[in-house]
Amino acid sequence: MNAITFDNVTKEYRGASEYRALRDDLGALFRGRRTKRTRHTVRALNRVSFEIPEGESFGIIGVNGAGKTTTLKLATRIAYPTSGQLAVRGRVGALIEVGTGMHPELTGRENVGLYGRILGLARQDIARRFDDIVEFAGIGAAIDQPVKHYSSGMVLRLGFSVAAHLEPDILLVDEAIAVGDAGFQYRCVERMAELVREGRTLVFVSHDMSAIETLCRRAVVLDAGGIAFDGSAREAVATYLHGVHSERLASLNGNAHVVAENFEITGTSVHDASGREVDSIPAGAQMTVRIKYRAPVSVERPLFNIGLVDGRIGCFALASMLRDGGAPEAIAGDGHIDCTFSGLPLLPRVYEIWCGVRGELGFGNLVTWQRLRLFRVEGNGDAQGKGGVSIELDNAPVHIPYSWSFNGHA
Amino acid sequence: MSAVAEEKQLVVVHGGRGGISRSSLPEVWAFRDVLAAFVMRQVRVKYKQAAVGIGWSVLQPLLMAGIFALFLGKLAHGTSNGMPYFLFSLSGMVVWTTFSAAASGAMESLVSNQMLLRKVYFPREILPLSAVLAALFDLAPAFLMLCIVDALYGNAPTLSWLALPLAPLLIVLFASAVGLALSGLNVYYRDVRYALPFVLQIGLFASPIVYPLTIIPAHWRTLYEIANPVAAAIGTVRLSLGGSWPSLAPVAGAALWSLLLGAIGYTLFKRLERGFSDRV
Repeated sequence: MNAITFDNVTKEYRGASEYRALRDDLGALFRGRRTKRTRHTVRALNRVSFEIPEGESFGIIGVNGAGKTTTLKLATRIAYPTSGQLAVRGRVGALIEVGTGMHPELTGRENVGLYGRILGLARQDIARRFDDIVEFAGIGAAIDQPVKHYSSGMVLRLGFSVAAHLEPDILLVDEAIAVGDAGFQYRCVERMAELVREGRTLVFVSHDMSAIETLCRRAVVLDAGGIAFDGSAREAVATYLHGVHSERLASLNGNAHVVAENFEITGTSVHDASGREVDSIPAGAQMTVRIKYRAPVSVERPLFNIGLVDGRIGCFALASMLRDGGAPEAIAGDGHIDCTFSGLPLLPRVYEIWCGVRGELGFGNLVTWQRLRLFRVEGNGDAQGKGGVSIELDNAPVHIPYSWSFNGHA
Repeated sequence: MSAVAEEKQLVVVHGGRGGISRSSLPEVWAFRDVLAAFVMRQVRVKYKQAAVGIGWSVLQPLLMAGIFALFLGKLAHGTSNGMPYFLFSLSGMVVWTTFSAAASGAMESLVSNQMLLRKVYFPREILPLSAVLAALFDLAPAFLMLCIVDALYGNAPTLSWLALPLAPLLIVLFASAVGLALSGLNVYYRDVRYALPFVLQIGLFASPIVYPLTIIPAHWRTLYEIANPVAAAIGTVRLSLGGSWPSLAPVAGAALWSLLLGAIGYTLFKRLERGFSDRV
């Protein structure tokens, strides 16, 4: 039996320019015709279909604006589909965005009562769980203070606590818990895992890929309002990260052409061991970076520096003629220079190639230090591990072979 | 684990505009607890930081009636059909203040609770309805005051006081009808929130508050009371305070008219409802 079914669901929002004043409609009325309104609609979901069986732990991932929150809002009947059909079986507890509609003038206790009832709990059920709710939220004596005196973290904790304790058949959790401190996030994940073990259905939206992999069995990747992938959570995470990387590759590869005074970089390319021009290199394989230049006048002993950057400040690997002294005597006209990295000890993801060219003896910049292009290292990395989760975007780039031993035993 | 064992409710939502359906009212009934909680919330919030507290609901009509009694009653010699002018205008003001608070509270209810609209599900009509019922909370102390003032003028309590609750009944029906329609429209056209205070000001003088019903030509009187149910409510209060039973025709007529308006307002509300969380 399915807890949630989406059948060909489309959701359109009117754009901001669609807002109308009464005078527009009245004006149209008096003129005896309807003014032709240009329809500025944004399609948040486009013919989306999926089924979530009861007891499933289901993740939704995607870039901002992909339709994740819209999906949750439709499932909770906060918003309604433009076309298509959806069905939800059982009581839904939802935590969408932070705050969850607490009233600032009322105390925490009063808000728990109100919110619990909105979520479909009878008064005596709320009373029975009240202590658990307060304890989980870690609010303490502040429960009898007006919510307006709470920190945003306290409001969030109380909101999650109520939603998570009303024993919903289906729990929908949006990005919300990302705001809490680490300890509370951990307890949220624990609580969600507990609900899943009890056989309840979980729908979890997050940018935290490791949380998705830990909590969810299955996940979909939403992209521009459509389902780009539907399958195991781990594969979905891998698909999503791959897509994000591709997008960065496409958007950042434009500026490989640099014109400087008396010197020009006309192109940058990446080649594999066989010399073929590529965008990605298998982890551990050889990579050659080719810088094509044009020197209108002869340049003596130009010093090329090529760095690899993983998105953080500074490069983590550098090939520098300044250091190794490998500069050519002189260059003039069109030509190219190759730098071969023999074996990349890198984890799979996207990296940047930066380059700068200095004049003789390191004085004066011919080309200032800048990013020329991106390349991807491909492979499965740690995702192959038994208990591990996939690599996150901000993980360490370099893979140095290592091994563990416990109490001296391998 | 009782929640899991229970028979689970299946909700099916079809795309499109939506509208009123056979399940609309039963659903409001199913959420009656939430309705009550909303009413209590509004009452609590309203008086939480007011020093005079619930006294405001008594003070407001009292002061207005005092001013009317002084200028219109004493100085301009307004007619009040034999009733002391102060009691006369006070009874009108008590009813009018309640209606006015109910209608404008209901009109604002969706927009002022937009955070809730965007985050939790409940039948949206609960918001305007709870605003109407919350406004009614002020009526009990105001009616008590009215009875006291009536007694102070030397009128002994009579059985006809029992007819007083007919007035709030009419007010609830009429204010709900107006509130449902206007709250929905206010989400789409914010002009409504600027227009309503103006319309209410006109209504203050279009209702028999500072003048008696008898200045309306006799053959129009009942129709006037039906068309403006506030007039019927005021008439009910004045008659029952004065020791006579209210007449059936205006009360029943106004109630039916309010119900008809309510059906129209509710249909409109349900028609607009699906866009609320997107547009508010």
